[in-house]
Amino acid sequence: MRAAAPVSAGVSPRQRQFDALARAHSTDLYRFAYWLCGQQALAQDLVQETLLRAWKSLDSLKDAAAAKPWLLTILRREHARLYERKRLDVVELDAGHEVAEDGAWASPERHGDAAELREAMSKLPHKYREPLLLQVLGGMSCEEIAAELGQQPGAVMTQLFRARQKLKSMLQGDRPEVQLGLP
Amino acid sequence: MDCLEFRRRLGAEPHSRASDFLAHRDICAGCAAAWQQAQSFERDLLGALQIDVPAGLVDRVLLAQATAERRHGARRRRVAFALAASLLLAIGIGGYAWHRVDATSLPALAVAHMPNEYATLALAQPISAQAIEAGFAGRGLALAGPVPTDVTYVHDCPVGPYKTVHLVSRVDGMSVAVLYVPDKMLSKQRDFHRGDWRGRLVPLARGTLVMLTDRTGAPPFDAVARDWRMAIDGVGAEQTAQADAVASEVWRLAP
Repeated sequence: MRAAAPVSAGVSPRQRQFDALARAHSTDLYRFAYWLCGQQALAQDLVQETLLRAWKSLDSLKDAAAAKPWLLTILRREHARLYERKRLDVVELDAGHEVAEDGAWASPERHGDAAELREAMSKLPHKYREPLLLQVLGGMSCEEIAAELGQQPGAVMTQLFRARQKLKSMLQGDRPEVQLGLP
Repeated sequence: MDCLEFRRRLGAEPHSRASDFLAHRDICAGCAAAWQQAQSFERDLLGALQIDVPAGLVDRVLLAQATAERRHGARRRRVAFALAASLLLAIGIGGYAWHRVDATSLPALAVAHMPNEYATLALAQPISAQAIEAGFAGRGLALAGPVPTDVTYVHDCPVGPYKTVHLVSRVDGMSVAVLYVPDKMLSKQRDFHRGDWRGRLVPLARGTLVMLTDRTGAPPFDAVARDWRMAIDGVGAEQTAQADAVASEVWRLAP
């Protein structure tokens, strides 16, 4: 009896590249999307739309090392498009609204430092949250973030500095004894 | 780098590996402590941001992509099939139209006329000049030049919609069927080949000469055309005949 051929034998190199791309970056994309929009379901939709758009223009990706920033750029555009279409308020998270209570928060850490940090992060204004996410989750430098956001590197550095200051301020407001080592 | 600049950089880029940044950290105890605290905070921040990812997310995305791709593939195949069918239909219609047009062309009509007249090519006995002139007169035509010799057959034959004078000329023992089609005007001389028949269309002053033969060897079209041009168009037509012969040669040699 002949052994069955591997499933991947009939898969095109383009499809294999896309599978690898999706498996390598979907986690980071989801987390970035979640912290961008604050909603689990919407974050999943954003990841799916992002990867489907990536599939359509996969041939334009020449360098595997550029995949993550490329995908983050697509995701940001998808988010902006959704925002324009549905009038989603991406800054609402910091405007005194109740933070979404969904699966992403339902962990044993909910009442620990991580939960406080998450809550503070969700309240951070969008203009500070986005560059901070690009730096912490996206692994981008100030220059790369500046290029991504169409801003000057100096302005991005200021936003990152203030983002951490505000996080510190919010956390110290909740628990004054917390020392985070921020300047 | 001073402490203020270090703290600003630390707040914006806590993972900076810039040499002046790290050098200041190494010589300033206060900033080194702040750096340690900042690294700890960054670890906490990264940990906090790493929320759980819904189970099966990537599989759902890949399923959606594969499904969409199959749907697009099916649509592409339908479009390709429709295009291929349209192309075949266009080729079929074009071929049918070409066949219809070609079937009514002068070469096709002349060749189609020959089976009924095939025996005339075997005639070897020359007929008289009077008989030839009578054949043209039957079509209301008068010859303007000398009647060619070695003409073995003349008859007024209908060829498709054309009322022709059908002749057979013999040159060096080779018979050539000649159809003179009055009032059928062509712009230029043209050779053709249909089945076993080789032929030539030659425009004359007031009509067209069609020559045909299925005999092997070089067909004496030039000589036959020259004789009939002189007979039909007149004596002065010889120079034109020579020019046409050159044109015919150029036409035959053209790729």
